[in-house]
Amino acid sequence: MPWYLYLAIKQLFPTGRRFPFFTAISVVSVSLGVALLIVVLGVMGGFGYQIRAMITDTEGEIQIKSRGLISDYPGVVKKVAAVPGVAGATPYAAGMLMVQYQNKPAFPQMRGLDLGSLDRVVSLGKFVRIGSLEALDDDSVILSGGLADALGVRLGAMVDIYTPLMLAKKDGEIILPRTARVVGILEIGHQQLDSSTLYCTLRMAQDLYGLGRDVHGINLRVAPGAREDEVAARVNAILPDDVRAFSWRDSFADFLWVLQLEKNMMMFVLLFVVLVAAFLTMSLLLVLVLKKTREIGLLGALGASRRQIALCFCLQGVGVGVVGTGLGLALGFTVLHFRNDLVRAITHLTGGQELLARFYQFSELPEHLENRDLALIVVSALVLSTLAGIIPAVMAARLKPVEALRSE
Amino acid sequence: MSNTILHASGIVKTFLSGDRRIEVLRGVNLEVVAGESISIRGESGSGKSTLLHLLAGLDAPDAGALTWEGSPDTGAKRRAAFLGIVFQSFYLIPELDALQNVLMARRIVGHVGSAERARAKELLTRVGLAERMDHLPTQLSGGERQRVAVARALMNSPRLILADEPTGNLDEHTGSAVIELLLSLCRETGTTLVLVTHNADHAAKCGRQLVLREGRFA
Repeated sequence: MPWYLYLAIKQLFPTGRRFPFFTAISVVSVSLGVALLIVVLGVMGGFGYQIRAMITDTEGEIQIKSRGLISDYPGVVKKVAAVPGVAGATPYAAGMLMVQYQNKPAFPQMRGLDLGSLDRVVSLGKFVRIGSLEALDDDSVILSGGLADALGVRLGAMVDIYTPLMLAKKDGEIILPRTARVVGILEIGHQQLDSSTLYCTLRMAQDLYGLGRDVHGINLRVAPGAREDEVAARVNAILPDDVRAFSWRDSFADFLWVLQLEKNMMMFVLLFVVLVAAFLTMSLLLVLVLKKTREIGLLGALGASRRQIALCFCLQGVGVGVVGTGLGLALGFTVLHFRNDLVRAITHLTGGQELLARFYQFSELPEHLENRDLALIVVSALVLSTLAGIIPAVMAARLKPVEALRSE
Repeated sequence: MSNTILHASGIVKTFLSGDRRIEVLRGVNLEVVAGESISIRGESGSGKSTLLHLLAGLDAPDAGALTWEGSPDTGAKRRAAFLGIVFQSFYLIPELDALQNVLMARRIVGHVGSAERARAKELLTRVGLAERMDHLPTQLSGGERQRVAVARALMNSPRLILADEPTGNLDEHTGSAVIELLLSLCRETGTTLVLVTHNADHAAKCGRQLVLREGRFA
């Protein structure tokens, strides 16, 4: 082992001292910064990952849309199902409705589902909290939890449904709503999706919107291991120009961009914590250089080169970075592992558990740390700690042995 | 001439103190022959330590020439192998125990293996610290620290040892013991010694005594 590495390790972790103050302060500051980044980016990534799962669970990974309506959807479904990488396809109709229950109106989004092919693409059944998806027919609907709560609807209730088509009826004609039984209440776990959505059969949706045999779009499930962007490109190759396939990334590009921006901003802001830790390490190393001026002179007198002396102090910055990052990762992942226990403990103390679920959309705190983010955190912490060691290292290297020895 | 291991001629060194120029060394000439021991005495501020730093290649003279074994190369790399230095203030590294402090002289110039460890232990045994090898400097007395510094100076089997007031921080009895040790070790190993001291008794123990006065050898 080169002497400068040996001495750097010995100065960071001196023999016979259980708690080297300088090392402990520097390492703890870097650890806290890294742990904070791990926890915040892990949770932020978890939100994004959960939203992705919800989107693909309810919409599939690819959506086929047309400028107008898609006619002959069975033909299109048959064609796209044969494309490599497509595991399933299901048509849908969507639009805005008015639903009324006991004179209480609501304006949910409608999703018309083709029950015959639905299971091959989306697993909506697992989100039905009360009732069942199997009970859904052309005279019944399933409401999202938020919509059912807003209307005060229970299972088995009859609701009136009005569509924009009814506004086009001739003057003097009485508008009769479509009546449907509520056979299920569905909760996906995302406030936006759960707040106001009505699920019905595709045929009912086609009737309500006067679509005939046409549909608004087709959702596709991608085979495991296939990339949705590549599959979407292959599907587009066989579709006419006015019908296009979009991956969920394309469809939710703006939303995903905002999520990514939020995460990047969090990373940028929190990196300042690591930067402050690096400055602390640098100032402590500068104090160390001043304290060890005569020893630096001695090393020069013993034959050490300036480069080696610089490396000795620079490696102490690296050492603080390596140990601090290691401990920070351990601390960060431990906090992430027990995140829900911690949140429960905090909300138990403050009494805000329901508010948390209502405003933050998730009852459990999600977690997903991408390898890219993890690598960025580790590299940032190591680079900043190394940079923190460079100024003290240069200062030490510039000391002339004879002047350093005279410093007493 | 082949026995000359250090040759200094016309060494001049001047320091600036504010606007005042202080000429500390005014043309010092010195020739050191292999195996001899030389003492350099002088009053405080006479330039003894400055001369020793110049002879060790730690500082550059304003004028004059210095050669080690006929070579003008007095750089850090050569210094590590050519000479050992003993300072008044010991300058042991506080994070390292006695053995590792001695080995540090070797680490800087190359590999430390079992042979080097054995030599360091032998040197520490020779200076009477066989039982204190794993002690940190803070656990050693002043005399013991200086003996570690002596062992460190001898670690690389140097041709020349420069000792700068090695007894300055020690009491009379301990100081005499350290000087005796240094002289006997140099005699045993055939190492040349240049000892800077203000103590006449210690200086008298060396084969050649020089006195530095007004920047020159008297």
